[in-house]
Amino acid sequence: MAMYIRIKRSKTTYFMQCDPSETIMDIKQKVSALIDQPVNDQRLTLMSTGEVLDDSKTLADQKVENDAVVALTLRKDDNEFEEVNIVRPVDFFKSGDAEGAGNW
Amino acid sequence: MKKEDTVKLISAEGFEFIIDKKAAMVSQTIRNMLTSPGSFSETEHGRVSFPEISTTILEKICQYFHWSLQYASGKETEFHIEPELTLELMMAANYLHT
Repeated sequence: MAMYIRIKRSKTTYFMQCDPSETIMDIKQKVSALIDQPVNDQRLTLMSTGEVLDDSKTLADQKVENDAVVALTLRKDDNEFEEVNIVRPVDFFKSGDAEGAGNW
Repeated sequence: MKKEDTVKLISAEGFEFIIDKKAAMVSQTIRNMLTSPGSFSETEHGRVSFPEISTTILEKICQYFHWSLQYASGKETEFHIEPELTLELMMAANYLHT
């Protein structure tokens, strides 16, 4: 396995194994095998830059690296794409540590 | 990656991680769940809930599974662990036999 990317939408993360030479279209086809959504109704956005990824280009072309987070958005009924929506867990360790530090 | 070849891991907060079975089987515990004879509901539906593992830790574990496969195939990189995650990650790793 050459690399993987993390495709996120809402509370779901797909760890997708891939190769830097694969195009975004290849990735979308792999996604459609998992979620029953046609490739045309998917949009992938690289989270580190906010860039919408181009179907015809490869992962390497667009600097999508190993372990990168990519947002998946789907086409809504009105033909527009939904907003990027990734839910993060409430990280009580970090916030707890910060607050707890003052008490010691 | 076909749907049948994946497994869904669910964290304490109900977040879902869909990963390749090969990656999940880096964990001996998950391997046993997925491969043992008899009818574990986990085997049939390809989903495993971890009500005691937080989302942050479970994601780190999934990253570790993939890193581990890459490392085994000769790509020697470091696996970074945030110091504040160490304790919980060790407890989860112990439970998962990873």
